[in-house]
Amino acid sequence: MKNRILIVEDDEAIASAVALSLQVAGYDCAVFDDGAGAAEALQGDHAYDLALLDIMLPGVDGFELFDHMQTYHIPVIYMTAKTDSASEIRGLRDGAEDYVVKPFDVQTLMVRIEKVLRRTGRLNTVYRVRDVELNSETKTVTKSGQPVYLQPLEFGVLLMLLKYKNMTVTREQLMTEVWGYDYVGETRVLDIKIHSLRKKLDLTDAIRTLPKLGYRLEER
Amino acid sequence: MKLWQKAAAACAGILALVVAVCSAAMLLYARHTILNMSREQIRAKQRDLAISFSEMTNYYRLDTDTGPVRSSLVNYCFSRFADESSVLMQGGETVSSALTIDPSKWLDLRQTQDMPLDGQRTFEGRVQGRDVFMAGGLVHIRGEEYAVYTVADVTDIHRSLAVMGGIFLAVSLAGIAAGAGAVTLLMRRGAKPLAALSVAAKRIAGGEYQVRAGVTTSDEIGALAADFNTMAAAVQTRVDELTETAQRQRLFIGGVNHEFKTPLTAILLHTRLLQKVNLTEDEKAQSLSHIEKQCTWLERLTQKLLRTITLRQDIVKTPVPARELIDRVLSSTRQIMSDRGVTLLTDCDGSELLVDADLMQSLLVNLVDNAGKAYDPGGEDRTVWLTVRENVIEVRDAGRGIPPEALARIFEPFYMVDKSRSKKHGGSGLGLALAKQIADAHGAKLAVTSTLGEGTTFRVELPVG
Repeated sequence: MKNRILIVEDDEAIASAVALSLQVAGYDCAVFDDGAGAAEALQGDHAYDLALLDIMLPGVDGFELFDHMQTYHIPVIYMTAKTDSASEIRGLRDGAEDYVVKPFDVQTLMVRIEKVLRRTGRLNTVYRVRDVELNSETKTVTKSGQPVYLQPLEFGVLLMLLKYKNMTVTREQLMTEVWGYDYVGETRVLDIKIHSLRKKLDLTDAIRTLPKLGYRLEER
Repeated sequence: MKLWQKAAAACAGILALVVAVCSAAMLLYARHTILNMSREQIRAKQRDLAISFSEMTNYYRLDTDTGPVRSSLVNYCFSRFADESSVLMQGGETVSSALTIDPSKWLDLRQTQDMPLDGQRTFEGRVQGRDVFMAGGLVHIRGEEYAVYTVADVTDIHRSLAVMGGIFLAVSLAGIAAGAGAVTLLMRRGAKPLAALSVAAKRIAGGEYQVRAGVTTSDEIGALAADFNTMAAAVQTRVDELTETAQRQRLFIGGVNHEFKTPLTAILLHTRLLQKVNLTEDEKAQSLSHIEKQCTWLERLTQKLLRTITLRQDIVKTPVPARELIDRVLSSTRQIMSDRGVTLLTDCDGSELLVDADLMQSLLVNLVDNAGKAYDPGGEDRTVWLTVRENVIEVRDAGRGIPPEALARIFEPFYMVDKSRSKKHGGSGLGLALAKQIADAHGAKLAVTSTLGEGTTFRVELPVG
């Protein structure tokens, strides 16, 4: 089951970029460019795990839309260009889970989305690529339904690549996330783990090496 | 210490000093006079007694020296003139006295040293708890020496003087107190307007610029208060102006911030998409097109912003024929109007306008462009009218109109009646703000009237002469 995200943003360029980034990473997205349209559509389909709301929307604005989200118990993250603390405070006091200030980075947004989903118990903990399935809850990996044993570090690397599927994950990101901030040592250990992942799970062509950048788990 | 307190204290001090000195002087003088008078009386009485007694005794020419006769004569003669204050003594023995005391204990007349010429001596002092004044002198009768005393109790006089002193002191103190009170009251009332001024000044300093000193006295303090109020009014006006300017600037900067962040976010997000995600060729092309559009938009926004900011007030006005101005507007809007399918109809009289031609062109292009957006695309009869009559230029459309609640705000920077529709037309929210600034720089009035569903008219009224 993919997590479903509702995006309400009147700027088409921003909305399309956010939606595309989330879709390739394994989320389902629905985009609306005005508050009234989104509110109307919610009456029919409101099975969303999370809503990303712009505050400055034509007609029904983000703050008004928030009330509709509460009706259907959809957690909210605001996307706002308003940097004044008054609107932040209002957003959070009313019960929004979090907010990001424009300009923001999609991977930062994704971290926040994941946190909110986990906090509200909606996070999809099963990630898939081809016939490989990873369950971050039970810490298990299967290939074609058969359990495959991975070392903890291998598991960590695979989870990162799956979270940002189709997106480049830099070596720095991987080292910090999997080995920890204070790891000082050979970064070649990363290459070794990638190599063994490719072999154990038969993902040689799926895990792409991007020279000088990092790795990308591709499936499109 | 406050001014009124100082003045009151000084006045009270001087008053107290003057009263004290005068009272003391009067009191001492009165005491001196009264005591002297009573002393003189007693001395005179003693003198009279002594003379009368000796004359009468001598008158009888006593030949006999025999004791009893002589002594009874002396007693008789003395008692003729004596009263309760008289004492007659001979050689330390009391011959005749109504008193219980022996005056020779305090006033010994047998001591012949320092005897005054008139033979009278006096004593003044405390005797058995009383204030006593006594005068005494020697009388010679046939070779015998007698001492004649007049002893007076002056306790009551001293007591009266003490009472008088007390009354003086009480009256003086009451006078000082009353005087000091009156001065304090007066000074305090006089200083009250100053206190009011001080309070007003403090409140103004604390930010309550609307406060005025309510002092209406007609003296110098009243004049000072009037000047103070004038100053406060000037300060308030200036502060209001500054606050308004600051508020406008804050809104403007907030607007700029917001307007820049949206395209920047889009560019950043699409750049990251291109960098990080394995996009299809279609998706790549789309992302690039988004980036290009946003960059173009940023470029336009920057230019308009620069014009808005750098528009100077000292513009150069020259006489420009209305026809020429209209031609310039027509040529610079031809493309965009035909793209939108909107017709621009113009009409003018032969008047000349005193304007900065470039800026006025910019103003009118903005108004015409704005009017063109009042129509939905594809509708029929889409016309914008631009007319010049003497010093009045009008731009009119028959489009959807502006809601009354939005009418007051349309000249604010970044204000858009319908944000999403405005954005689709490439609106920045700065066009009308710029037009307003240009009109202001010309000293012209820019007004708008609109009816929903019927259309909008912008009217530029240039100053005459």
